[in-house]
Formats: sequence, structure tokens, C-alpha cells
Amino acid sequence: MSSSDGIGRLRALEQQFESECVSIVDHRSLEDTRARYLSRKSGLLTIELQNLGKLPKEQRAEFGRVANQIKLKIEGALETLQTSIDRREKQKTLEREALDVTLPGNRRRTGHRHPLTIIRKEIEDIFISMGYTVEDGPEVESTYYNFEALNFPAGHPARDPRDTFYVADNLILRTHTSPVQVRTMEKMQPPVRIICPGRVFRRDALDPTHSPMFHQVECLLVDEGVTFADLKGTLERFHKEFFSEKTKTRLRPSFFPFVEPGAEVDVSCVFCDGSGCRVCKGTGWVEVMGAGMVHPNLYGFVNYDPEKYTGFAFGGGIDRYTLLKYNINEIQLFFQNDLRFLEQFS
Amino acid sequence: MKVSYNWLKEFVDIIETPQQLGTRFTNLGLAVDALDSHLDDWLFELDVATNRPDCLSHLGIAREAAAAYGMELEGGKPAAEAFSISIADPDLCARYCGRYIAGVKIGPSPESLKARLEALGVRSINNVADITNYVMLELGQPLHAFDADTLQGQQIIVRRAELDEKITTLDGVERELNPSILVIADARRAVAVAGLMGGAETEISPSTSNVLLESANFDPLSIRKTSRMLGLSSEASYRFERGADVEMARYACDRAAALIQHVAGGTIYRELIDVYPRPRKPVTVMLRRTRIAAFLGAAVDDTTVERIFDRLAFKVSHAHQGWAIEVPSHRQDIVREEDLLEEVARHYGFDKFPATLPKWAGHGSGLPFESGERLLRDRLASSGYSEVIPIVFSDLSIERKFRPDTEPVRLLNPMAEDEAILRTSQLPSMLRTLEWNLNHGVRDLQFYELGKTYAQDGERRSLILAATGALRRKSVYESEREFNFFDMKGDVEDVLDTFNIELNSSDDTIPAYYHSGRAVRKGDLVVFGELHPDYAAEYKFRNRVYIAEIDVEIMLESKEPRVIKQIPKFPAIRRDFSLLLSKGTRYRDVELAIRGLNIPELVRIEPFDRLETRPFAESKYSLAISLMYQSPQRTLTDDEVENFDHAILNTLKQRLGAELRQ
Repeated sequence: MSSSDGIGRLRALEQQFESECVSIVDHRSLEDTRARYLSRKSGLLTIELQNLGKLPKEQRAEFGRVANQIKLKIEGALETLQTSIDRREKQKTLEREALDVTLPGNRRRTGHRHPLTIIRKEIEDIFISMGYTVEDGPEVESTYYNFEALNFPAGHPARDPRDTFYVADNLILRTHTSPVQVRTMEKMQPPVRIICPGRVFRRDALDPTHSPMFHQVECLLVDEGVTFADLKGTLERFHKEFFSEKTKTRLRPSFFPFVEPGAEVDVSCVFCDGSGCRVCKGTGWVEVMGAGMVHPNLYGFVNYDPEKYTGFAFGGGIDRYTLLKYNINEIQLFFQNDLRFLEQFS
Repeated sequence: MKVSYNWLKEFVDIIETPQQLGTRFTNLGLAVDALDSHLDDWLFELDVATNRPDCLSHLGIAREAAAAYGMELEGGKPAAEAFSISIADPDLCARYCGRYIAGVKIGPSPESLKARLEALGVRSINNVADITNYVMLELGQPLHAFDADTLQGQQIIVRRAELDEKITTLDGVERELNPSILVIADARRAVAVAGLMGGAETEISPSTSNVLLESANFDPLSIRKTSRMLGLSSEASYRFERGADVEMARYACDRAAALIQHVAGGTIYRELIDVYPRPRKPVTVMLRRTRIAAFLGAAVDDTTVERIFDRLAFKVSHAHQGWAIEVPSHRQDIVREEDLLEEVARHYGFDKFPATLPKWAGHGSGLPFESGERLLRDRLASSGYSEVIPIVFSDLSIERKFRPDTEPVRLLNPMAEDEAILRTSQLPSMLRTLEWNLNHGVRDLQFYELGKTYAQDGERRSLILAATGALRRKSVYESEREFNFFDMKGDVEDVLDTFNIELNSSDDTIPAYYHSGRAVRKGDLVVFGELHPDYAAEYKFRNRVYIAEIDVEIMLESKEPRVIKQIPKFPAIRRDFSLLLSKGTRYRDVELAIRGLNIPELVRIEPFDRLETRPFAESKYSLAISLMYQSPQRTLTDDEVENFDHAILNTLKQRLGAELRQ
């Protein structure tokens, strides 16, 4: 046997491998091919190498070099094939596992806070951040706290049983949250800095804009050196926080027995930015609160010195703020509790 | 020719201002070249025509003026001769002015007068009545005109009505009076309800020729009470209730008399009758300069302040550190410095004051229970419950079904019979809410309400949960599952766990409105379960309804602080057993028997399967439980765990007859 014959066989083996390579498509045919050529016992190349010893000494080196070269080539080719087969197999798995991702998500049912609660919390948080403490009081209230101590004289129209729910001669369902002002001032000396959100009652039939039960929030500040300008600034800050930095606040002179001077508070319409729309009836302003400087007569009821202390108070409807915030036009929706309404709030 | 206004008054009862009189002179051909005030008098410079030497005297001019007023000179009758007026109850009537006009001719008003009234929505009646309305709208002073010939005894008495006295008012309604009502009476009877409406018998009619004109001032509170008592209100009462200007009564009376004479002719008797028992004392209020900035937040300069009050007809004089300001009679609302500050703010302009934030040192905070309630709301929302806020009025008979022993808060003046009390329980309003949604086709519901209930002894914050329908609807992912008792129980446990409270139920009585076999109660803290089928039937609920009532006040008070435990370092060993138990043995019996052994390494017991039938005796059921053992100090050995298992199975066998299912 000559070395040229041996090398010729090696080359033939190389060619045979190259033509077989094409048919390697998966791990099995890859392993079969690897075994056929490289198996330690029966691999075609292994067998050829076993013949090395039969060659004349001087030819062995050349034969060995070519055989190794071919071995490396086969190993390299198999390695490359292995990688691409791996990649293909993974790809197939992904394709097999594909879902119809356009189906809707499987959502767990979640509940929703009532819009009035959402807005009440929002208002409370703004005032708490400005240093106010939240207070509450009873809803079944004495006429003293609801009227007398707030400077509503006996015989004032607000006391009329056509407008106010009576439980007894001097016991009513509170018509505003203002009694909490007096109750709080009775408990402490200034500085007083509180807000009181809560439920109030007036004898109005339920319709899109009225409800016999509704919610208010009241603010009271009594301290040394509190001015009308502070009232303006506080209202302005609150409305910027609550609506937006663009919101403007306007005070118009008005009358409430427990403040002097008294004012109605308007904000620039949040829907048209003051240019006029359905909500603001074309005026650019919506009325949201009553406000004023605490009437000195109130200090008489709670033994504060009106020369030393001044203060302001204001109050508005939580329901009204909620209507405005969400552009809802029927107050009834709040108390019907239709899930289709409630689930729109989060 | 110079003419003195005061001197003229000696001859004629002048009922107009010098300026108005001046216009009259001009119209009569006595041109006014000048009109000037002089001390407390006014002087006219009249250009008297050469053919009228009679007018070169005060008497002559007075004759012209008297004629213009339809009055007689000096020799004419004073009104007091035609009529007497007295006030019997001066606490309710501060002033009563009257004028007598004889020989008027009642007829329609001139078109210009009619047009002006009708534009304002006031129906034209006749010339005299129209003038009273006209002057009221002009000056704010309500007036009334009587047919003087229908008044008995030539007198007016202002007095409280007598018991059972009656009057038929202008609107044709007969009204019963009583001594709390002030009336205008003649010698015999009430002829008007003071400040509200005149009587039909004494009203101006087409045949009226003599008129008694009333311009009075009545007590606001009395008018308001009478108005409410009689269910009657008028333009006059609207003004008196709020307080009319007592100093306006006299001028308005003269003005109306002059106008009546102008449109209806007749003769105005001399001298107005003015009964004014307690004349108003001038009110002066001090305004301190420093107070303006201290109260309003910005200073306003002196000239601006003075101009504001001057133009509003206040009398301003300088005083120490500010001003003494005399309040005009028409401003009854001004009694103290703050009222003056409001005038300054209003007329200077609210918008001119700066907007500042109050100076403050301190911190704000929410209500004491607020943080707890916030946690609660978050928890409930994540468990699928939506919050409702119902109206709290309720019906007594419905409340009684749920709170038979609670004495409710009853309203004296409810809007409707079935809204006559405040709710004693949250249940009826919650059931109504479910009903409302079901009736509107919304079937799968989970609601909660955090709100007050009311009773004679006070108000209480409570929590109610309600659920009905599907917990999960059928979808491509899952089959439908109805909300059940254990879902509600889990939600209640979740809520209590928020405050680290365990639900170890007691055997307290279950309220009658719960399904007796599907409800749990823990003292006054919580009761929950399925709504009794009879109650569900009343509301026509098709699916089962689950309710939980939780007293939030007790819950927040029993809140336990949470102790965070270390994560165990040694492995846990889980053992599962399938037990055969007699029907009637409850899970709690099993749990208590096991816990009774006090094995500290037993960290968890959990049931995980339950079979009601087969393959075992009819009287038995199978319960699979898993036990978890763990020690904080070491890994437990097989022997130890075997011993625990043995002890537990023995106890279960002895106490409950439990067998291990093979």
C-alpha cells in the first residue's frame, strides 16, 4: 500500500462527507453522521487512521497531516451544523407555543371607590398638605350649633321646616357642615385650622340638580393676623391644586349670616377655560363656594377675643366639585349606585 | 323775585323737595333762574312775568303751589281733622304715616305708568293702586291705599288681631287671625293684615272718591311669622321681612300723594299724620385706619375710604386713628366695624386685594380613623368590591325587619312616608342597591358601603359587604363560577386580616335575616352569610345573596400591631392525610383537636380536599388535610415527625372517631 493510495482514500472520504452533509437536517442525522465518520471504534476516518502504522515510515507524516486536517474539517462542519439545528429547533418550539395574543386579557375583577369618596379624599389631602386638620361632627344636630351660634337669628328663613328636616323642636338634620366650626372653636383656643367634610340634608326633592342628602366641605381658620387677602390666597391655591394651575378664582360680594364680609366664590370654567360653554352657561365662571371673614358675633359664642383674632371660613359642595371634575350633570347618579356608573372611577 | 322755601311752607303743605318744586314753578310759568341753599332753607330766584304782580309775594307763589298740589291754602282742612291714627302695639309698628286725599277720580292709569309697571311684571289695577306700587318700586317703601269712606269711625288703629277675628283679603280669601298677627283696624274691625295685604271691604273701587294713604314701618320678624302662618306673601311683605327704611315712610307718603293727585285729581289735605313713637336714633360706628390692612390684608388710602362712604350717604367725620361714621337710616345692616370694612372691600374692589397664604407653623392631619379606612378601601377594591353611597332615609317597617330593637331617629317633616326615619341598618339600602342594578340588567355584583347608621342613642360608622351573581363569568379561559359562601368568608377574613384580627367565630345567635345554616358571627364585630331565602324572595333575587356586616369602630379599636417574623432557616416538612369523618363533624372540631395537642413545630393546618360520597359508608365523609412542621432551631428528624403524626391521628381517632382513609 502506498501513501498516495492512502491519501486518495482520505480525499474520497472527505468528498463523501461533503455530499452527505447536505442531508443532515436534525440532531439524529447529525449524530448518525458523526458516528459514521468519527466513532472511536467503527468511524470511517478512525479506521483509516488505524492503517497509519502499515504505511512506510517516511509517508506516515504526510498521511497523518492530511487525516488530521480532514478530521478537523469534519468536526468543524458538524459543529456549525449543530448550532444551526439548535437554533431551528428552538424556533420551532416557539412557533408551536404561539397563542392568539389578540384575545382579550383575563382580568381579575377589581372594585371602585365611589366618586364622592375619591373627590373628598382629594380635597382632604390638599388641605392636610396646607396644614389643616380634618374634623367631623354629628349629622343629627342641635339648632343651637346649626343656627343660633352661626348668627342665624330665630325666625330666619333657613330654619323653616319647609327647608330643614326636624327631629324635635331644637334637633334637626344639619343643613351644612358649619356647626363643626362652632363645636371645634368651643373645644380650643386659636389657632384653629380645620376642614370638615360631611353629609348634610335639606328638604329638596331628588332631581338632576338637587338631592335631600348631599355632601359639603367646610374650612375654618382663626388666628392672629388672618386677613381677607389670606382668604383669597387660600381659595386660589386650593383651586389650582384641585383643578389646574390655569384655574382662576374670583370672589363676589354676597351675604351669609356667619361671615362679614361675605362672598360667593367662582372659578374659571374648567371645561372651556373661561371662554364660555354649556357648563358655565356662557359666563366663563362657575360658582363653587360661599366664603368670608368669620363674623365677630361667632367669637362671642365661643369666647374668642375679636380684637386679637380674625379668621376666615368657606364651604362648598363635594357633590358639586365631583360633578365639575368629571363633567357629570346629574347628582342622582351618585345615589343610584349603578355599577355601570361606579366602575368608571378608579 | 327771591322766594324762601320755608316761608312758603307756612302757607302751603309743600310735599316736594325744593328741586321738584322748582320744576313745578317752571311748568307754571314761573321760571327758576336760580335755586340755592341758604342756612337751613332754600332760596328760589323766580322770574315773574309782568302780568302777574300777584306772584310778587310769598302768598301769591304759595297759592300757585297749592293749586298745583290740589291743596287749599292755609284755610284748607288739615288731615288730622279727617282722620285719627294711633298705634296700640308700637313694638310691632315703628311708624305710621297717613295722608288724606279727597275727591279723586278712580280710573285707568296713564299709558306711560301702565307700561312701566307692566314691564316689571306688575299688573295695572287702577290709577291710585298703581301709584302705591309705583312708589314702592321707586323708593322701596310699601304703601297701601284705603277707600276712606269704608273705614268706620274715621280712625286707624294699629293693633294685634283679636282671637277668632277674621278678614277677607284683597285676593278674596277669608283668613282667620289671632293675637300674634298685627292688623290695621278701623273703629270696628281689621281692615288690613299689616304689611301683607289689605282687606277686600276697604279696597279702592271705581266709586271711591276719598283715599287714606298708608306708609308705615312694621317689625320684620312679625311680618315673616304672619306670612308663614297665613301662607301669604306679597311684594310688601317681601320688603318688610327684610327691613324697610323707617325714615323713608314720610317722604314716600308725600311722593305718592303728589302722584295720586297728579293722575287722579282730588285735594290733598294739609299736613301728613305721622305717628312715630320711638324715632330712630342715629347710629355711629368707628372705623380704625389700621384695621383696614389688618383685616383686609392691604391698606386703602384715606381719600378712597372717605369717598366710598360719602357716596353711599354715610356721614364721615375724622376721629382718633380713623373715622366716626354715621350710618344712614337705609343701611340697617351696618352695626359694627367689620360691616364698614366690608363696604370698603366691596367698593374698593375684592379684586384689588392681594392673594396671600396665611402664616402658620404646625401640621395637618386626617381624621383619626382615616388611615384605617383608607387601607380598608384599598383592600376591598382589590377584592372586587365597588363602593356605594345610598340615601339614608328609610321606612320604619322595613328597618324593623332588620333592627327590631333599635329606636330610630324619626323626622317630624319627612319628604315621604317611606322616608320618615334615618336608617338603623345598612342592609335595606344595600338590598335596594342590588335590586336597582339587577332590574337594570347588571347581574354580577360586589358592593360595599362604609357609612353611618343612626339611632336615638347616636350615630355609628359601619361597613357592609354584599355580593351576588358570578364571581367569574365564563370566558375562553375559565368556566363560570358563582360567588359562594366561602368567597364571602374569605373576603371577611381578608378585611379582618388587614387589621391583624383573626376570625375565630363564636356561637352567638345569628340574626333571623341570615340563612341559619350559612352564616357566621363574631360577637358585635362581624356577622356574615347568605341572606335568608324568605328575604331574598321579597326582593325577587334570583341568585343567592351574601352579606357581611362589620362594625368598623370595633374593628379599628381591636386592631392588633403586626409582629414581623423571621424567615425560617430550616426546611418545613409537609404531611398529607385523608381522614374519614362522621357527617356532622366540622372542620373546626378537627382543627381544635389538633391544636389542643400544642405541638409548637406544627406551623400550619390546611384542608385541601373534601369528598361527600363514596367509596365509603354513607354516614362518613372524607377530608384531606395537610400539616406543615417546622422548627426555628433545626431540621426536624423523620422520627420526630412520625411521633407528631402519630399523636395527631390518635387524638383525632379518640375524640372524633376519625380514621385514616386507605
